[in-house]
Amino acid sequence: MRVFNIIFKDLKVLLTDKKTLGLLIIMPIILTTILGAALGGTFSSDSDKRAIKIAVVKEYDFAYEKDKFMEFPNNNFLFQNMNQEQLKGLETYMENFSGEFNPEEMFFDGFLDNNDMKKMLQYQVLDLEKAKELLRNNEISSIVILPEDFIYNMYVNFFPLPYRNELDIKIINNPDNYIHSQIIEGIMNSFAETSDISIIGKVTYFETGIDEGIDMMTLSNSEEIIQSFYTIIEEAKVQIEEENVDKQKPLSSIEYYAVAMTAMFILFAAGEGAYLLLEEKDNLTYARMTVAGIPKSLIAIGKYFTIFSFTLMQILVMILYSTLVLGVDWGDKWLVALITLCTTFSIAGLGTMLASMCYKSGNYKMANAFSSILIFLLALIGGSYIPIEVLPKFMHNLSNFIPNGAALKAYNSVMLGDNIIQILPFLLSLIGMGVVFTIIAVYILNTEGGIKNVKYNSAKT
Amino acid sequence: MSLLKVNNLKKYFKEVKAVNGITFDVKKGEVFGLLGPNGAGKSTTISMISTLFNPTSGEITYNGESIVEKPKAIQQKLGVVPQEIALYPTLSGLENLKFWGHAYGLRGSELNKRIEDISQVIGIKDRLKDKIEKYSGGMKRRINIGAALLHKPDLLIMDEPTVGIDPQSRNHILDTVLKLNEEGMTIIYTSHYMEEVEYLCSRISIMDMGEIIASGTQEELVDIIKGQKKINIKLDHVDDTLISIIKTIEYVEKVETHENEMILTTQNGENIFKDLISKTAETESNILSIDIKKPNLEAVFLHLTGKALRD
Repeated sequence: MRVFNIIFKDLKVLLTDKKTLGLLIIMPIILTTILGAALGGTFSSDSDKRAIKIAVVKEYDFAYEKDKFMEFPNNNFLFQNMNQEQLKGLETYMENFSGEFNPEEMFFDGFLDNNDMKKMLQYQVLDLEKAKELLRNNEISSIVILPEDFIYNMYVNFFPLPYRNELDIKIINNPDNYIHSQIIEGIMNSFAETSDISIIGKVTYFETGIDEGIDMMTLSNSEEIIQSFYTIIEEAKVQIEEENVDKQKPLSSIEYYAVAMTAMFILFAAGEGAYLLLEEKDNLTYARMTVAGIPKSLIAIGKYFTIFSFTLMQILVMILYSTLVLGVDWGDKWLVALITLCTTFSIAGLGTMLASMCYKSGNYKMANAFSSILIFLLALIGGSYIPIEVLPKFMHNLSNFIPNGAALKAYNSVMLGDNIIQILPFLLSLIGMGVVFTIIAVYILNTEGGIKNVKYNSAKT
Repeated sequence: MSLLKVNNLKKYFKEVKAVNGITFDVKKGEVFGLLGPNGAGKSTTISMISTLFNPTSGEITYNGESIVEKPKAIQQKLGVVPQEIALYPTLSGLENLKFWGHAYGLRGSELNKRIEDISQVIGIKDRLKDKIEKYSGGMKRRINIGAALLHKPDLLIMDEPTVGIDPQSRNHILDTVLKLNEEGMTIIYTSHYMEEVEYLCSRISIMDMGEIIASGTQEELVDIIKGQKKINIKLDHVDDTLISIIKTIEYVEKVETHENEMILTTQNGENIFKDLISKTAETESNILSIDIKKPNLEAVFLHLTGKALRD
């Protein structure tokens, strides 16, 4: 009960201090609102106005490449042993296929003009020079180049024969808009990769059939099988439209900064916690508690859970505010709760470690340095100012091993729909940091002179 | 019957002998005074009795049990009023009292009743809901005392509880101490204010430089300088001739001057007036007033150490 009494009292002390309350609760709310609104264009996919603008350049000649595809059997040794009747049949089949399957329609109508994709992307088909001019003027974020043989390769890849050509979609990015560039690359990769699923399936079918000695025309003419390929292709398109597009959906600025500010300002809770033990000693209340028979370890545990409770309160306030007022969707509530617990565990450990260092040294230099310098450095590395993706790779990696960085990545991951397996590395990192910080704090407080020899007035003899 | 015994107690901080082999005992039901200037070692002694830190050597027993070995034996029976305000300034008086009541294991209606009683005793009932930081120095001191009384301690230690406060609050605190003592509470009162110790304490130990230089009742201590009196004489001017002549008077042991004032230390001082007046008349100085000071603890301290309590 005594420990709850200490926690309750400490929380009251923190909450009755207007300066602390302003810094730890009000400030992140204000900053999230301001940054989210001000930087809306950078991240948002909420409206057409904010959709990423790209240019698509066609370097292929559709009619020529379609004809080239029709010439395909003439240039391939696999068809050299076919008789005239078979070749005629194949030709008719290819004409039907090329009439029904249109690679341009698949890419533009089925993929880029998909309703979900349109919320994210606005494209215009331009020639390369014009596209480059727009890119230089920052009017578009990227140029997507569909190269020579794109149509031919698409026909070959999707035609029910055991062939697969490389689909090479080129992208020219705007170096000033790294985030958008990354998103475009992700989207195009997903298109190529998803197409591969059906193509690999097709190639495998034919290779297996040929290995079994089945005639290739028999394989190609099997109505049931061919129908299944169209189904695969259709399903592949669905995959492109729904799964992959959503997967790459960027966070809105409000979503990003709700997490980023939460992750940053919980560091201030650790910073405030750093003052708790030494302040208690300086106020002579530490000595008074000792005289009242409260074990010194209990006082330290009380501080730990005070920081834990306050951090938890901060995060809950931010989640509630951003959800109810700003409309942020934090994702699966159980995963969010799990991340929150791991984060508070880590921050409580950090705060207690700093508090023990201040107590041991007998001054507030460590707490002051943390609050005035380190927090801002950690916030930068952890992605609270600018998205982590923009940072150099070593900083990106480093952010996994600082509490705010790991927390931000975990929350963002859940916002994007990731599951517990995908956020597990971040959770383990947070727990690991919490354990290390706590062990250091206990070690410091247990060393001689750490928490002993308290007196009512250190200036007196 | 001795409630607390301190035997050859020492506390050294590296080279500094903060407390150097003191011995005294506190009887149940008395107000025991520790008198001494700042730096005498009073607070260090109090801190050791309060179990805040261990002595370098020596023994402290409470009701026969060593508090060094069994600190719990005294913690729940002890109330400590530190010299500094040991409270949470951003919390109200009520919140502070509740916290300290909880710290001593009080709960619910028992705690509320004690807070009501104590706020009555310390005379702060109307301001309990105000934050401590809004209180005057005297009010903070009263809450500081109240927090130590909630659990009805058998032994109350008050470490210079009236430093830096207004006369009204000071009087209230002194009256409170007497009232608590009348109700049976044993009190250790430390101060460098001689008048307070004289007013409150039945037995006194005088400390200086970490040692007890005298102990006893007020009368016993004054007896150390039995017959010695201080005479303050104000003159229109003081010169060397006058000082030389005064020094020749029988029973005058010491002559100190401060501007136009002479302080004479005498034995059987009543007998020197005739000589004092006649000898002064021989010089060019004129006596403006004469004040005879009775022996007190200040004088005892001065006699024993050669310095004033507030030096």
